[in-house]
This record gives sequence, C-alpha cells and structure tokens, in this order.
Amino acid sequence: MSFKRLDPEDFLISADSITAGAWSGNSPSITTFFTSSVQEAGSSGDYYLNVYSENPDTSNTASVEFAVAFGDSAGSGSILYDPGQNGKSPSSTVFGQFQNIVLGDENNNFIFGGVTPVTQSFFALSVERSKYKGSIFPGTMNLVLSSSAGFITLTDNSRDVSTTVFNEAGRVFQLVSGSNGNAIGEGDTPASAVSNGMTISGSYGLFLPDIGCLLLNAPALELPEADGGIALDVGYQTNGDDDNNRAIFEVVSGSGTTGVGKANFLLNSQENITSDFLFIRARNSEYNYSENPSFISGSTGEVLYTNFINAPQTFITSVGLYNDANELLAVAKLSKPLKKDFTKEALVRVKLDF
Amino acid sequence: MGYLNNSIVTIDAILTNKGRELLARGDGSFKITQFALADDEIDYTLYNPTHPSGSAFYGQALENMPLLEAFPETTQNLKYKLTTLPRGTAKMPVLDAGFAAITLKQGASLAITPQTLNYLGNNQIFETSGYTATLADVRTLSNFNGVGINTEQAEALNQTQTIGTNVSKTVVGTTINLTATTVNTLFGSNTQLNTTLQIVGRDSGARITIPVTITKTT
Repeated sequence: MSFKRLDPEDFLISADSITAGAWSGNSPSITTFFTSSVQEAGSSGDYYLNVYSENPDTSNTASVEFAVAFGDSAGSGSILYDPGQNGKSPSSTVFGQFQNIVLGDENNNFIFGGVTPVTQSFFALSVERSKYKGSIFPGTMNLVLSSSAGFITLTDNSRDVSTTVFNEAGRVFQLVSGSNGNAIGEGDTPASAVSNGMTISGSYGLFLPDIGCLLLNAPALELPEADGGIALDVGYQTNGDDDNNRAIFEVVSGSGTTGVGKANFLLNSQENITSDFLFIRARNSEYNYSENPSFISGSTGEVLYTNFINAPQTFITSVGLYNDANELLAVAKLSKPLKKDFTKEALVRVKLDF
Repeated sequence: MGYLNNSIVTIDAILTNKGRELLARGDGSFKITQFALADDEIDYTLYNPTHPSGSAFYGQALENMPLLEAFPETTQNLKYKLTTLPRGTAKMPVLDAGFAAITLKQGASLAITPQTLNYLGNNQIFETSGYTATLADVRTLSNFNGVGINTEQAEALNQTQTIGTNVSKTVVGTTINLTATTVNTLFGSNTQLNTTLQIVGRDSGARITIPVTITKTT
C-alpha cells in the first residue's frame, strides 16, 4: 500500500498573527515624505494627495505609502462642484465617505475623545492597503506633526484603555499626544484638556486599525501650542480651494517648519496567516520498500541488495497529499532525505498556507 | 547523557496544478484525505552495503544530498512511491501492462488490462482497487476511460471532460480503453503524435510508463 489515510487528529488549523514594518521594504518608519506633482495636478488631487517615501517624480521605485484627504461636513475648503449648490464639494464628499464607513449614519457627528466639535472637519490619513496588509498593529503608531508653532507626537491610546471600543469601522482608539500606545501624563497635558494626551477640543482624532485609517480632528490641530495644538491653518472658504491637503502634508513632512529633522511616521502592519498543518506519521512497519526503479534489479522486481530483503532502507524525499480520488493536490519536499527503516518512525509536519 | 533526537521535520507544501484546479472549482473536491511518501531523486545504486566503516555509513551518499524543490506539475511529483510490504519481501510489485510500447493508427482502439506481479504473495494478480492511468496529452486520444471500478471517485474521474490544450487526464479502472484521435490538424506536418501513458497500481503503488505513438493514416 502506498496511500495512508489521515486521521482527524492529523489536521490542525492555525491562524498566526504576523506583524512587520508597514512601509516600503518592511520599514517601520518614514522620515522623508513626497507627493506627486502629476497626481496633485490631476482630478484626484482635489480629493486627496498620495504620499511617498521617495520622490515619485525622480524615482521609478517610489510607491504610495498613504494618502491624505480633508473632509468637512459643510463642504468648506474646496471649490463647489456647482456654484449654485452650497455644501457640495470634494471636502464634503470625503466627509460623507468616512461618515458612511465609520459612523454608518449620515446624521451622526464625529465625536473625538468625548467632544463633538461644532466644526465637523478632519484630515484622513489612509494607509495603502498593501502596506498595512490586514490591519494596523495598535500601539505601534507614532506620528510627528510639526508646524512653525511647534510639534506634537501622536499615538493611539490602545495601551491606556482596558476595553476596546468598536464602531462601524471595527476597532476604534483615540489619537492622543504620547508614544507607543500611551498618552502623555497629566503634568504634560494642557490644563484645559478633557483627558490626558488630549485637548479642549477632544482627542486628536480617531485611530481605525481595521480600515488602515487615521482621522485627525482638525479643530484640535488648529489650537495654539499652549493648548496642545500646532496652530494648523485650516481654510474654510465656502467656495475656494484652501489646499488643506497640502497643509496637512506639510505638517506630516515637517517641511519648512520647526519640525525639520523630526518628521517621522512609525507604523507596523498586522495580518493573520491561516495555515493548515498536517502531521504525516509513518509507523515503523510502513514505507520501508520503494517502487523506485533503482531499488530493484532487473525486470522481475528483485530488490537491489540482499540485505534489503530483511533490513530495507528507504529515503523519504517527498510527501504527497491526495484526495479520495487519489489526485495529488499538494506536494512537499524535504530539504534532505529522511532515512526510514523498520527501526524508525517518521513524523513530518507539513504546512499548507492559504 | 545526550541530546534527544529532535526528529520532527516541518516542511512547506505547495499546491499542484491539479490542486489549484480543484480548489478553484470550489465543489469540495479539494479535500486532503490521504498521503503518500516518495523517494524521487534517490538512486539506490549509490547505497553502499559494503562500506568499510560499517552499516551506519551505507547510506552516506544519499542522506545528505540536496533535493530539488517541488514541482507544480502534478505528474512530475511522487513518481516513485514508498510502499508498505511485509518484512522479508524479496521481490517488489511490478506492473505488467502487456505492452512495452503502444502504437495506434488514427481511430484504432486498444484495451489494456494491467496485472501486478509479486504482490501480496501472488505471482500475478489484478489489484482490487484497480489502476490509475494518466495520459500526458489528452488530445491524442478521442476516447480514454477506465472501466471495472465503480467507486464514486473513480466514476467521477472517468466522466471528467478535459478540453483545450495538451493537459493530462487521469482515469481509474481495471481495464483502460484507448482510442486514437482522428483529428488530422493535430499532426501538422508530422506523421505521428507521441505521448506517454503512466499506469500506477492503486494498492501496490507499482508503476509503469509506456510510450504511446499515434500514426497518421490519411
């Protein structure tokens, strides 16, 4: 017999969580930031800016790391689609897009750290899907924002909270001033802030690891440095392009500000790899003879060496996995032959990834 | 005092072309239920039972040899399966298809009834589970099926329609029926088509590969 049936206990399904640096080359951090002049000048530039770690205008290997977009409930900060239709602009489109996937209801407002800002506007940082893979790994996000007024380091508060909050976009954490998943302490937080690492306008935004997005609370970033902000100049024209996407890009990249040399975006990706493990067991009495043509001599089937009659030795090189119709579905090769005889039992663990 | 033999080996498997096909079909046919072991790439003539250093060194030339990676092509893996036979077996099962080579004219038919020699103490028997026959290029035959094994899996295999390019086809039976193609365009400017027929005993694992030639008549 060549085939041996697998028992139920020979199968094991394992889901392993794999984390890695999120950015190109599995790097955990980006310190240089570029946009594409072509993309910015195109129609998509009205909605978002793609951000690269290499200059896409000069490098063939540059790939998109994340995109930044500005969303405003009143459609402010960008040019109206139709001058006669107030409130309908790229910024309101972006706002409605995230309202739909994060809040699930067009009538709900964004609440940041328990505060519902009167001005419902945010900056979305949407990480490229191939970069964050399955989700962003909470507690690894550190983002430095800097302007001429100063700089702050934002992180999620995943290590400060004991229970995880969920919304329509999956897990949700607050963006706070701090590092590696912990907010700064009370002594470093402005007195007016609603909580440690936050501001009077609430948290700095929402961290949504399951959809690979950060929503930065614009009113919090507009606050002066003394109140925890960076005095970000956000434009709210009712029918004019305030170029808010470039404004957030500049505070992320730290270009021309006090943040020169401090720009940094740290992130780890996370994905679950589901593997089938099969345990292949060859008992001592099994698989000790071979149909290999070099195992026999002549055409009548005599074994090659007389000592193979009572003490045969075989060398396992391949494991084949079959269905009931004896069709070979998967094959695994050993890195070197595994000796098998009547005094040995072999146990081979085969990993099948999907 | 010594270290225990860390004998578990972990290896990564790849799907074969057939595995991918069945996985894509999504009808439950991709279900691993059994395994086989093989010693492809091993040349037992390198085994040296007269090694001067003793029996621990008989397999020295084979134990550390580097192995090739697995091939996705289904027919190129597990060619030489290991089998479970009683200790003291002096003769390995050998397949006898009755033909060393097959030559068919266009439209001609042939039935092959393989037998297994030296299996389970018998000089010559028909294996109860039948034989698996794989034709390397299904286009060369207009009819290729197996009869005599009526399990659900065998019947499903025998009824499978394979169309398109020069893919292989596998059937199961105690008798394998072949009818050469009558399609002239396959020949092009040639007068014959060549392929191979591989027959494997489903119980013994014994195998034989027979060259098949189809000759053009018109």
